[in-house]
Amino acid sequence: MPSEPSTSILGPVFAIAWTDLRLLVRDRVAAFFTFVFPVIFATFFGMIYSGVGERGQATIGVVRLEDTPAAQALAADLHTLGQFTARDFADPADGAAALRRGQVVAVVTIPQGFSGGLDDLFASGKGPVVRVDFDPSRRAEAGLLEGRLTELSYRVLARGFSDRERVKAQVRRAREGLASAKELDPARRLMIETILTAAEGMAAGPAPKGGAGGNADPLANFRPMVLDLHEMRPALAGPTNAYQLSLPQGIVWGLMGCVTAFVATFAHDRSRGTLVRLLASPARRWQLVAGKALAGLVSCLIVQWLLIAIFVAVFGVAIRDPLLLVVATVCSAAAFVGVMMTLATIGGSAEGSAGFGRAVILVLAMIGGGTIPVFFMPRFLQTLSAFSPFTWSVRAIDLAVWREAGAQDVVLPLAVLLCIGVGGVGLGVLLVRRLRSSH
Amino acid sequence: MGRPIVLRLINLRKTFGGLTAVDDLSLRVERGEVFGLLGPNGAGKSTTLSMCLGLIAPDSGRVELEGIGSPTEGHVRGHLGLAPQSLAIYDGLTGEENLAFFGRLYGLRGAELRRRIGAMLELVGLAPRAADRAGTYSGGMKRRLNLAAAMMHEPPLLLLDEPTAGVDPQSRNNILDTVRSLAERGHTVIYTTHYMEEAQRLCDRVGIIDKGRLLCVGGVREVVQEHGGRTVVHIERGDSASRVETDEPLREIERALAPAPDAGGVAVTGVRIDRPDLESVFLNLTGRRLRD
Repeated sequence: MPSEPSTSILGPVFAIAWTDLRLLVRDRVAAFFTFVFPVIFATFFGMIYSGVGERGQATIGVVRLEDTPAAQALAADLHTLGQFTARDFADPADGAAALRRGQVVAVVTIPQGFSGGLDDLFASGKGPVVRVDFDPSRRAEAGLLEGRLTELSYRVLARGFSDRERVKAQVRRAREGLASAKELDPARRLMIETILTAAEGMAAGPAPKGGAGGNADPLANFRPMVLDLHEMRPALAGPTNAYQLSLPQGIVWGLMGCVTAFVATFAHDRSRGTLVRLLASPARRWQLVAGKALAGLVSCLIVQWLLIAIFVAVFGVAIRDPLLLVVATVCSAAAFVGVMMTLATIGGSAEGSAGFGRAVILVLAMIGGGTIPVFFMPRFLQTLSAFSPFTWSVRAIDLAVWREAGAQDVVLPLAVLLCIGVGGVGLGVLLVRRLRSSH
Repeated sequence: MGRPIVLRLINLRKTFGGLTAVDDLSLRVERGEVFGLLGPNGAGKSTTLSMCLGLIAPDSGRVELEGIGSPTEGHVRGHLGLAPQSLAIYDGLTGEENLAFFGRLYGLRGAELRRRIGAMLELVGLAPRAADRAGTYSGGMKRRLNLAAAMMHEPPLLLLDEPTAGVDPQSRNNILDTVRSLAERGHTVIYTTHYMEEAQRLCDRVGIIDKGRLLCVGGVREVVQEHGGRTVVHIERGDSASRVETDEPLREIERALAPAPDAGGVAVTGVRIDRPDLESVFLNLTGRRLRD
């Protein structure tokens, strides 16, 4: 007995999509150019953009607002920190700007009064305050820097003890404070006096009496230098990591791989007779196109998210706006599905369609930032690139990854991508109707 | 009383630009018969099949699946099965996966889908290679899988477009046996082929078309009797041979073997009888000029 035709609307769509995805994964060449080659490509260009040798060290900014020997010595110390290279800034604003641009991971500011702070070390129990502004996305480097600065503070302290007159003055102020601390525990008072006497001894002078100021315990929370940490989020006027530049390019190549693979699959369907069998099935034209489109959409999303995951995990690419990135990748996938459906159905013959599709995709990728970023291109090419979906895809992903822009700048590329997607799929449906007359 | 009609083609006409592919073609196909649609290249067979499948719309006339409707409607196409001339299978999928995919397109699911896959693989002799990718199959195996995919949903009307093209004799035999068994189970088959001996062996009725027009239609025996011409008797006497067209070949041979003064005393050394067949019908109706 004959079976009744399928009444499921989505059954044929999912069947076609699942089959196309399985065919893509099983085609080793197509899978390589879709999933592996983009990673290699983007890694290669990321290395070129970043200057491979410099990747080992992060750069910190040093702003010295006092011209005393102590401040000069600390600044010099900051230039000798092993894991960091240091760059001096005369103006705090310049340091902040460099941090916002991602040129440095942190800025250490040696303030006015730094030397005076050292002089009050024993009296107050706290050394001078050193401000550290850091990029919160580079928290690991900031933590390392904090540790190295704490280490440096003891070097500052040791250096202070080499100035005998200065130590004598510090001890004198400390004894004055101690004398006024009436409620201090006698045992603790004795211990502090012992330390001060030892300090006096180091300074080879008489051992004066004194104490910490006020009623506080002068050794409580003793810190030779206080680090005042501040987060300063980069404004991201430019990429902070070279791989942020190459990631969108990798995505472009991944999308290229997807589109060419699916155009080839469709051409295969046309040349081998599977398309005729699909058209002769109860599945409607839109279901056929939807199945192909769904497979394309899923593969485009997988490629993009796989690349992003690799670049975040391996190359430390920071994502400025993850939600926007999800939206951008979905819109990009939709646009490339539209391109795919148009190219797959536009040719008069299967072979012509596949060849034409490859050529068009290559040109669109080249002018759309697939080989070099659009902002490196001459102005006329930048204008031309507006006609490439790759341009809008790269722009949308750039906005999500590193570029800061207003709402209108975000909406435009997303809207263009969606329009390309909807228009392309619609055109594909129309062209598939035409295909049946070519059988 | 004849068998019920399954398919009617009524005054079909289709042109592509200035070329008339199908010209006022009318035909009916009965349930359970294997109907051979024969014709030289470019005769209009594929266009006719495409209209039967609803892939292209006729300029005029109509196609009707009796009691169901026009194949331009999706639900009607569910009652049709197609094995296209081009192999409509995916090399990247296994035989089993190919059948599962095409089965799902027709709404088959779960246990029923698995049952049909198993049955079809057995029917076409591919069960031992079910888990191998179709890309590793021989040409004949691919043809058999192509046929199995068309039968997955057990359609009442099956359209087979040159299903034995380029296959070895064993696979051809398997395919012909399979088609015959389908007809015996009540399926109707429309079969196109260039192999006339195949059509003669398999088909209950044939229709020969050329330049879009139906030249003849009927049972194989009737068509041969009507359009096959007379039997030809070839008589060899030493180095010479003669050819006689006759309706009574045995009498002609007797006459040749009897001593006759006009034979010149040369004995008959060989006799061959060429009876009219479907190929002679085909050549008589469509001519011997090459078709490219």
